[in-house]
Amino acid sequence: MDRVSTGVPGLDAMLGGGLIPARPYVVSGPTGAGKTILAMQFLAAGLAKGEAGLMVTLDEPPNEVKANVVAFGWNLDRLKILDATPDIKAHKRQRSVIDVGTTMDVRDMDQVGEIRQSSQIRAMEVSIHGVQKMLKQEFFQREERTREKYKRIVVDSITALKMFTMAGEDSRIMIQSFMRFLSELEATTLLVSERLNPKILETEFFLCRGEIRFHKSLDGNVIRRAVSIEKFRGSRFDDRVRPMSITNAGVIVDAQGVVAMTGGKLAALGQEYLEQRMGEEVATVIESVMKMIEDAHRARLVVTDIEHAISRAMLQIQRRNYQKAMKGALHAQSAIRERLDKARAGLPPLPPPASPPPPGVRR
Amino acid sequence: MINGKIRTGIAGLDRMLHGGLVPHRPYIVSGPPGSGKTVLALQFLLEGVQGGERCLFVALEEPPNEIKQNMRAFKWVADEVEILDANSDIRRFEPTPVIEISTEVEPARMREIDDHIRKTPDFESHEVSVHSLQQLLKTLFIKRRYDRVVIDSITALKYFCMREFEESLTTQSFMRFLAESKVTTVLTVELPEEGQAPPESFLARGEIRLHKLRDESGIKRFISIEKYKGSSHDEFVYPFEIHSVGIVVLVADAAAAPAE
Repeated sequence: MDRVSTGVPGLDAMLGGGLIPARPYVVSGPTGAGKTILAMQFLAAGLAKGEAGLMVTLDEPPNEVKANVVAFGWNLDRLKILDATPDIKAHKRQRSVIDVGTTMDVRDMDQVGEIRQSSQIRAMEVSIHGVQKMLKQEFFQREERTREKYKRIVVDSITALKMFTMAGEDSRIMIQSFMRFLSELEATTLLVSERLNPKILETEFFLCRGEIRFHKSLDGNVIRRAVSIEKFRGSRFDDRVRPMSITNAGVIVDAQGVVAMTGGKLAALGQEYLEQRMGEEVATVIESVMKMIEDAHRARLVVTDIEHAISRAMLQIQRRNYQKAMKGALHAQSAIRERLDKARAGLPPLPPPASPPPPGVRR
Repeated sequence: MINGKIRTGIAGLDRMLHGGLVPHRPYIVSGPPGSGKTVLALQFLLEGVQGGERCLFVALEEPPNEIKQNMRAFKWVADEVEILDANSDIRRFEPTPVIEISTEVEPARMREIDDHIRKTPDFESHEVSVHSLQQLLKTLFIKRRYDRVVIDSITALKYFCMREFEESLTTQSFMRFLAESKVTTVLTVELPEEGQAPPESFLARGEIRLHKLRDESGIKRFISIEKYKGSSHDEFVYPFEIHSVGIVVLVADAAAAPAE
């Protein structure tokens, strides 16, 4: 199968030759780990082979992106850069949020000069939809102009993009749609992402077809850098953490090197089991209530308050408050059983309480 | 078949399950991204196809063309597996009513899947909602008997297809629908790398969990049976590896029970 080179030979070796083309990948790691440098290197490697590349920048304005990579001496003149950094927000009330693009701001790298000034009249806000629209327009205009598609795209960063999701929109759905959009462009895409919290499952991490993760740690007073492949669908890969460095030639990965790791996550494995068993008992009660809710629906009883109580109990399970979850579930169970029994006996159903008391409030 | 159980396609896992899975029930396979859930699910279908069973893969995370390409890394013949593309299209932002996945959608056989991704049509887009998917599956299950079904993943269903639905309740009722359909179903669940499992794993008949841990020699993968109603099973956590034949559970050497 054809592979796409990342521009870093050591990393290509870890990936078994490179990335599988036409798919979105995540590059993750803490700030200053080298994510953007890798992304630029990936685009430069494409340009060197005559593959058109597009950089969508949300974190830094194009002039800074340019300044940051001058030191590496890559020829990025033909790189297209799409400025999606938000303007300074105008501090006055706006009737509606306007999408990005004072102008459709796609420029060749060699034409990037000073920072774009915010429009004096109205500030533009960035939305996923706006970025997507700009990308689409540029993609197809280029195809018309030059009969050539963008082969490589970088979005730096998806974390920023997510923060621009408008209120009321579901950011998970927006990211799913955006990644679908990127897949349909059939370009190989790197999504730069800051890993904020390993306890939260972020959409891009499970939808991406692979994840390259950067690590940074302090060893005495020296910064140690390392890289690992966390996931790579459809290919075998080197699963060790390998040392890397940032030199004046960009990111260098030592595909044979060994990184000393501290701490064993293996220990934490057993602890989850006990809680699992506790949760199970609550789940059994919830299940029985769910069945009765369905019966109630069939009997056309209003049981909205019971449904809410069960939702709350599930939330408690999620928060590992098994005691409270059990209490809530048992309460709901007896309440609905009573109502069903009455309905079966032919009595008119009791009206549900106007508003269920909020949990934790005693009268 | 041992005691009426069906095989998972992974010999070591069958041993852990004391023979295999009790048929006609839904099971959860959970684990963090990159732990091997989709591989396990595909092996489960492959085992069925080899026994002449009718198998369906419902793809919610990846387009079918990529799933097919990814399978080339394995020595599998999966032409007969049916695959239903339940990936939502690119969403439109114009305030037009969303068109839900049509109930006429038919799964395709793996061998018919071509190399390119299905493109969102210019004037309409299909958004998959949990409701429409359930309707569609219901119709399919009436039309023909599926022996094995995989939903990959229930997390994607929850994240992307439950706009305006209450997530926990809706997930639960979707699982009840599967339980009542009497089809042996494997549902994959994405877990965060740290922290707790989402509530749907508490509400399943059985759960196989994949663990992904790192040490100096690379990624170590482990598999455990978290729960299995109606059957005895191994309580140990076993290591496994992903080879060109798929997942291989190393049952011979039980992982040392985690210290502390």
